[in-house]
Amino acid sequence: MNATLIERIVAVFQFEWRRALTWPRMTWMATLALFPPALLLLMRWTAGSFEIPWQGAAIAIFALAPSIACIMAVFLWATPSISSELEGRSWVYLAVRPDGPVAVLLGKYLAAVTWALPVGLIASTLSTLVLVREQVLRMLVVQNSLAILSCIAYAAVFLLIGVIVPKRAMVVGIIYGILFEAAASTIPAAINLITIQHRLRCLLVRGLGFDESMAEDNVVFQAYFGQGSLLWHTGILLAMTLAFLVIAVAILRWREFTTASETDT
Amino acid sequence: MLLSLEQVTRLYGIVIGVNDVTLTLPEGAHGILGPNGAGKSTLLNLITGQLRPSKGKLTVLGHSPRDPALLRRLGYLPGSEGMYADVSAIEWVTYLTQLQGFRASDARQRACRAMERVQLADVQDRKISTFSRGMRQRTRLAQAIAHEPELLILDEAFSGLDPIARHTMTTLLQQWIAEGRSLLIASHVLHEIESLTRSFLLISGGRLLASGSTEEISRLLTSVPATVELTLNEPRKLAAQLVASGLIDSVRVEADRLHATTGSGRELAQFLAEQSVNGALEIFEVRSSDDSLQDVFHSLMKLHRGIA
Repeated sequence: MNATLIERIVAVFQFEWRRALTWPRMTWMATLALFPPALLLLMRWTAGSFEIPWQGAAIAIFALAPSIACIMAVFLWATPSISSELEGRSWVYLAVRPDGPVAVLLGKYLAAVTWALPVGLIASTLSTLVLVREQVLRMLVVQNSLAILSCIAYAAVFLLIGVIVPKRAMVVGIIYGILFEAAASTIPAAINLITIQHRLRCLLVRGLGFDESMAEDNVVFQAYFGQGSLLWHTGILLAMTLAFLVIAVAILRWREFTTASETDT
Repeated sequence: MLLSLEQVTRLYGIVIGVNDVTLTLPEGAHGILGPNGAGKSTLLNLITGQLRPSKGKLTVLGHSPRDPALLRRLGYLPGSEGMYADVSAIEWVTYLTQLQGFRASDARQRACRAMERVQLADVQDRKISTFSRGMRQRTRLAQAIAHEPELLILDEAFSGLDPIARHTMTTLLQQWIAEGRSLLIASHVLHEIESLTRSFLLISGGRLLASGSTEEISRLLTSVPATVELTLNEPRKLAAQLVASGLIDSVRVEADRLHATTGSGRELAQFLAEQSVNGALEIFEVRSSDDSLQDVFHSLMKLHRGIA
């Protein structure tokens, strides 16, 4: 008996992957991966001979692939991580293992990220190839990098929501997505600094060099995309991810998760 | 020491799950008996660290619950099923054994051994969804014993099993105890536990009503008023004799039946035996309403509340 916590996390990750390899789930993930390029293909077809501006294409790809497709993929995977075990009454088997809850949480996180990554990467790549005619490689690198960061960060925040409110995880996840990531992230105030979407947008404009064509002291630019380098925003995003995971683990260690049916009083 | 509870109370809001329980248990096999809603599962949830006491202190095998060092030494079969229907039995048991801290190949070997032990080796690759209730229950037992814990905790392990599955489970657990390992088994049916251990904890309403061997609990019960129903040839004559002897608290006669309540069950039994042997009375049937576990609890609750 000498498997480390990392080995146990890997065991959960492998088990979750094996369980998830079903046709319905793969079909759903394929649909998520293909809907952004399909939509953009339709857009291109509708535009006819009109050339879609490079910056406009970048924003459209970003909105559909690293944002919507990745968010949907990790939302469906990470948010019900704990609630599905509680509802299925399987949590108790995991909770009575040494550091079982932590291994399960982090193993499921890895599974959620690695399931969502192909969705984000396929969506970003195909969307870029469909819509972009110039600087294709740069667009591919930036959009795919954003898809990776998006999956990593959103999986952590949805996992945290699932730990905080396991019984209403999906509903709260949707409310969070709409209120924070869609609405608050566009408000040029302190609140947008704590959203993942804001950081991803900052990375988009810097990665594609939108900022090079604008003055750094442009008030509107600074209000929406802040200051700081690519590395700074990436660091903040990864730090936020780490913080979400640490908080989720702490809550899981502290909290009691028995369901009423498991107590006969 | 297997288990030590010091004034442990667990509240769910204003509802009491476990009420001021103090006890110590040595290593070995022990049964936790109580009617549905008695607080058995709450007690087991406290022992396995899924719940924390609202008040009091609890140690299991010298550790506080939730301590990973304790969880390595503990196997648990919960009251609810909660298995993954879409995986094979061996895959599920292997996965949980890995989570227990064993490397993949070792976990697989241990899981196979456990499946053999619960006599499911030949069907271990089948999906759990295809299993009968008895097979699922044995698979659940396999996950609890695969890592060979020092203490096995079972919550309603016999629930829903047919007689054959019940017998298999009993034999398995008897072997487990014979190997010198500890067992804590909760049930609301006395005879399920009687075949495994003679050491009981009786709980009801979250309170520990009594603990000890069957004999100790029987002795305790003889001091609790019991209702006796007799069918005999001369009930009125016996009623008069019983009143005169002072062995009964109340008596009622209906046709050929006599109903009596007594706080001296042992003496009454002796008196009836003597009367029957002397040929003074012809007793056809003696029935005590306190045979069932539910009545034992009822009697003990009265004793506990000072009504008796």
